[in-house]
Amino acid sequence: MPSLRRPWIQLVGKEWRDLLASRAWWVMMFLVGPLVGVSFIGAVRKYAEASGLGGTSAGVGGAFSPLDGIWVPTFVAYEIAATFLLPFVAIRLVAGDRQSGALKLELQHPMSPLSRISAKALVLFAGWCLAGLPALMAGILWKMYGGSTYPPELASVVVGHLLSAGLTIALAAAVASIAENPSTAAILVLSFTVGTWILGFIASMRGGLAEQVARFTPEAMLDMFQHGLVQLGTALAALVLIATGLGVAALWIRLGVSARRRAFESAALVAVGAALVVACAFFHLSWDLSENRRHSFPEADQEALAQIKGPLNIEAHLAPEDPRRSDLENKALSKLRRVMPSVRVRYVSATSIGLFEQANTGYGEVWYELGGKRTMNRLTTEEAVLETIYGLAGMTPPQETGTPFAGHPLVAAPRGAAVILYGLWPAFVAGFGFLVLRRKT
Amino acid sequence: MRDISDRLDHPWRPVIVTVAGLAKTYGSVVALDDVAFSIRRGEILGLIGPNGAGKTTLFECLAGVQPADRGEVTFGDGYETARRGDVLFYLPDGIAPWPHQPVEWALQFFLNFFCGRRDLYDEIVDRLDIAPLGSKRIGALSQGQRKRALLAMGLLTPQPVLLIDEPFEGLDLRQSRETAKTLRWHASLGRTLFLSIHQTMDAGRFCDRFVLLSGGRARGEGTAAELAELARGRPGVTAPADFEEVFLALT
Repeated sequence: MPSLRRPWIQLVGKEWRDLLASRAWWVMMFLVGPLVGVSFIGAVRKYAEASGLGGTSAGVGGAFSPLDGIWVPTFVAYEIAATFLLPFVAIRLVAGDRQSGALKLELQHPMSPLSRISAKALVLFAGWCLAGLPALMAGILWKMYGGSTYPPELASVVVGHLLSAGLTIALAAAVASIAENPSTAAILVLSFTVGTWILGFIASMRGGLAEQVARFTPEAMLDMFQHGLVQLGTALAALVLIATGLGVAALWIRLGVSARRRAFESAALVAVGAALVVACAFFHLSWDLSENRRHSFPEADQEALAQIKGPLNIEAHLAPEDPRRSDLENKALSKLRRVMPSVRVRYVSATSIGLFEQANTGYGEVWYELGGKRTMNRLTTEEAVLETIYGLAGMTPPQETGTPFAGHPLVAAPRGAAVILYGLWPAFVAGFGFLVLRRKT
Repeated sequence: MRDISDRLDHPWRPVIVTVAGLAKTYGSVVALDDVAFSIRRGEILGLIGPNGAGKTTLFECLAGVQPADRGEVTFGDGYETARRGDVLFYLPDGIAPWPHQPVEWALQFFLNFFCGRRDLYDEIVDRLDIAPLGSKRIGALSQGQRKRALLAMGLLTPQPVLLIDEPFEGLDLRQSRETAKTLRWHASLGRTLFLSIHQTMDAGRFCDRFVLLSGGRARGEGTAAELAELARGRPGVTAPADFEEVFLALT
């Protein structure tokens, strides 16, 4: 009976079969269970200890959030898998057709290269989602222990990891399409990842432009999502980068086009992608999905700050590695930017650590300028920053109305997690994988 | 010398593909140099040349899976405005596509993906003796088995012109003869076949017309009789005894 399915659907089916025939994918599926197990079991134990297990009267986890205590550590397993396992799965799927000669056959179908790459990307993404099953099991176990879950912040973590995987897939697809050899592609992808780590390191030491660029590395993006903050600009930038990577991959699988032309077109596409990423930085809309509203000032302060019109300029004389600078940035200024998009912050320092600048006049000062008035405050706490701004704006600090986040301490042992994640999951994957691979041989 | 030119009344067969000025270099190596010839509807055209003559490069440039530096490929006989992929299908030599998948799946994929000739499926499978290979992985096939599986895929495609790189490579004598019969049967259905063959005698017996390629240049085009006539005009050549001598004289 003639098949009426469209060629693209046929291609997706073929890619799915190729994924199932990929040992790299089965290895990733096998390993992700124990990886999640180590992370989750360790997280539950530490959470329990901090919540008072082992004799401490009240523990230190009175304000403990499952986001920090359970989800972020558990999902570290996926960071590792996305860095060290997923690229090999993606490279295998993209480069395999070229190596076997199948690409020469498939390219003779008048389907667009982007459609071909999208079929591969879709299947890889689906394969990654299946690798998320151990995390789902961990979530179910957590609920069975009586743990609290705040869906928006958990969704933020999941979306962050999905975008991160998308970036990995796009990068691996692009490199696998360009490189002649899969092993070269693997080295290049890992080099890129290491490069982003170095960039992050330089950014933390030097600040400035490196800090701006480092905001768009997969690690930085993921970090934001993992802490319950969803920034429209960051999410759009991630999507642009994914589209750019897949676009470059699509350009390079066209074996019938000269390498020079493909290189020029890729350069143009990357330039457009970079411009769009820069444009994304101008989208300031963001959502604080964390249960404890860690990225927001108290409601009353949010409302009061939103009423301040004129541009607020802040000049902080603090070196990138000065702990006061990260205090000021993370506890006050990042929240301030969300509620007052017009705020302009400038960091000034002569060195990266600031150790030998302490004696310099002006070092450690934070200057605020609003409506022609200027004042200085050396304190870097949230309260001090708010007080200074209210003072400049001639406003009375609002009264606190809301109740502080109480936290969800839980003293529970990770019962059953080891059996499921160290035993059942790997056994299931190994058995199922063996059957599928044997059927194909 | 066996005259096969009578099998083909080529001047009246319409030209379906015209190649002009095709050139390709790899760095300083000239793979194709101003190659020009035409393919006529329904013929079996042989691309003859020694190893390294540029046969595979020519096929890949024609099929668009490799860029040519220069040259033009135009279509005729009702395909003037058609895309390359609507007219030509190229079957490479020495590939093992989708090595983890069984042969039967690959054939079905070809049928579905390329909207292939479903009506020919049973006949092709039968003629090329594919049925015993159906459940075997392509990567696990012997060279000859893989060649037969690849030929089956190629014969299932719907394009009017099929380019096959070394169709008899890896086949034993019996299989070569069966394959030759199958290709002849396929051509009798109206399909145009363009085959690259490095065994000159095999090609001389099998093809209707020839393009002789050597050192990246087309040294001659025509039926065996036409090429023999062309060879007679060369210095030191009087009457070539067989097609091999024609080939040697012209290349």
